[in-house]
Amino acid sequence: MRIGDIFSYAFSAIKLRKLRAGLTTLGVVIGIAAIVALLSITQGLQAAIAFQLQKGFATDTLIVSAGGGLGVGADSGFSLLVNDTQTINDIENVTASLAIIQRVGYLKCGGQTRRVTIVGVDFAAYKEIYSSTFLAEKGEIPSNPENDTVVVGKRVSDPWNNGTLFCNVGDAVEIVWTNTTARPLTNKTYEGSVAAVLQEVGGFSIGGPSDASIYIPTMQAQSFFGTEKCEMIIVKLKSDDKATIDSTAKTIREAFSNQVAVTSSTAVLNIISSVFSTIELFLAGIAAISLLVAGIGIMNIMIVSLMERTREIGILKALGMKNQQVLLIFLSEAAIIGLLGAAIGVGTGWGLAQAVVRIFSIGGGAGNIRQGSQAALANGITITPVLTPTVLLGAVAFGLAVSVIFGLYPAWRASKLKPVDALRYE
Amino acid sequence: MATIVEAVNLRKIYMLGKVPVEALRGVNLKVEEGEFLAVLGPSGSGKSTLLNLIGALDKPTEGKILIEGVDVSMLNDNQLADLRRKVGFVFQFFNLIPRFTAKENVELPMAIAGLGSEERRKRAEELLELVGLKHRMNHKPTELSGGEQQRVAIARALANNPSFLLMDEPTGNVDSKNAFEIMRLVKQLNEEKSVTVIMVTHDQRLAAEAKRIVQMLDGVIVDEKVNRK
Ligand SMILES: Nc1ncnc2c1ncn2[C@@H]1O[C@H](COP(=O)(O)OP(=O)(O)OP(=O)(O)O)[C@@H](O)[C@H]1O
Ligand SMILES: [Mg+2]
Repeated sequence: MRIGDIFSYAFSAIKLRKLRAGLTTLGVVIGIAAIVALLSITQGLQAAIAFQLQKGFATDTLIVSAGGGLGVGADSGFSLLVNDTQTINDIENVTASLAIIQRVGYLKCGGQTRRVTIVGVDFAAYKEIYSSTFLAEKGEIPSNPENDTVVVGKRVSDPWNNGTLFCNVGDAVEIVWTNTTARPLTNKTYEGSVAAVLQEVGGFSIGGPSDASIYIPTMQAQSFFGTEKCEMIIVKLKSDDKATIDSTAKTIREAFSNQVAVTSSTAVLNIISSVFSTIELFLAGIAAISLLVAGIGIMNIMIVSLMERTREIGILKALGMKNQQVLLIFLSEAAIIGLLGAAIGVGTGWGLAQAVVRIFSIGGGAGNIRQGSQAALANGITITPVLTPTVLLGAVAFGLAVSVIFGLYPAWRASKLKPVDALRYE
Repeated sequence: MATIVEAVNLRKIYMLGKVPVEALRGVNLKVEEGEFLAVLGPSGSGKSTLLNLIGALDKPTEGKILIEGVDVSMLNDNQLADLRRKVGFVFQFFNLIPRFTAKENVELPMAIAGLGSEERRKRAEELLELVGLKHRMNHKPTELSGGEQQRVAIARALANNPSFLLMDEPTGNVDSKNAFEIMRLVKQLNEEKSVTVIMVTHDQRLAAEAKRIVQMLDGVIVDEKVNRK
């Protein structure tokens, strides 16, 4: 029997039970759609985050903070000081370093108030290290700032992202900060004037510029917050190769008797991407289980169909059909369902991914800016679902494989039927 | 004349649970090329069992069955399938595949044998013409009368130019007018196209149309006569 004839025979059998075949196919569609949607969203998210991180992080930088990594659990009483940069600058492979002082406070402008992250930095050094993100969209970032110079992030200037500005270049602003360590609590106010509005950074970064922050010169921050300490020191290296990063990080840790944590941007990127791979695998695993359920569905209808068609198989064998041909016919039925389900599933999953991304991006934007003590997380990231050829072909192959594997047993049973028994079957 | 089918001391025992049922108890039979043989006998006498053995649908418990000189018991599943392509079967019930048209049903054995669609279509039309059903070739079995369905089944049985036709009560399911119609067709095939026919029936009048009649009872052939008319 020719392959084409085997397929058309299988197809005619499927067509006979349209509803049943349709429902079975639906099972495969759901499994494949879930896999494709989950993978294309997580891969899209991963790509978006990696992109934002690479933008926000400079790969040739290290972040030094007190205690256990990124300031979490800085409990040893050790604090990083602003002038520790001098120690760091003397270390080999370091081209520049910069202290960051960071507090959460309020910005008043034209009678309105917004919560912001106040960051004290050396403007000149910050510009040098984050040359692609610490850039003015309006106004100019002075390398030698005046005492009242304030640079604001894009989302501070234009919080609703619609041109209705909260503050603009040239505006007089007041920065209000509550000293929570003083008793009684005291509010301090800093009078400034907006010199520049940053370009949109998007996403989030550690140490790097963020859309929801405002920037004042280090000296001003020190006197305003009344501190010699800083939250972190950003270190720029001569190169971003792994050996340089690792050896310099070690030297820095030793210089501070291991009381600091040194984080490399690259390491953070790697951790994040490995976390995503795990999540991806986990989600794909869940989706794969739904596909196995679909496979059992296929096996089920094929066994039913085998019983219904026992006499038909008897006739086919009496007409000279070989066991392998009967096997192939039944496997083709499973394969057709699997392939059809996989094809529709990929389309559905892709559509689903688009829809999910759209729904989530409506709620996103500047409204939900979370301000941490170290990293400003903004969810203004735009995710574009990614459907790689690997996922596409993999999903189709997986759908097909599951269908055929679950079709194997019924097909084998059909092929082994004895012609006389099959013909006698009621 | 060449011997097409030869049964030597055929025995067939079915196990009904633990109870053995002796369906055939030593059958000896020779069928020559061009014969029209009727196997007559009451229900349960073993006619279908014999026919299934001759058609290689089943294997004997004891004895030998030679088809064109080949011992069926020596063949594997694939060789048996090949052998069945040389046999034209017509059964009493459920003969045709209901979802296929008359033409597609006739094409089926040719498709199984690996013929191309053009060749199949041509031959199917010729065969349907031969059985007088060319005008109904695009009808499905449910749209045909019982007699017409059996004629389609005969056309299908002839599709691969079989060495012989095996018919198990081909008229059991049709009225007597149609039964004689079918018998005329079978006789015509036998006489004009020299198709060898082995037909099982329990109807004396139909058996009378055959050239030779063997009478079965309780799993053995008890009588044999040649029709001279
Ligand atoms: N698969 C089977 N299992 C058990 N017993 C069987 C089987 N097939 C046939 N028999 C028994 O073998 C005997 C002969 O059956 P067979 O079908 O050959 O009779 P038959 O002459 O064709 O009868 P009918 O005219 O009713 O078709 C019967 O007693 C029947 O019950
Ligand atoms: Mg019978």
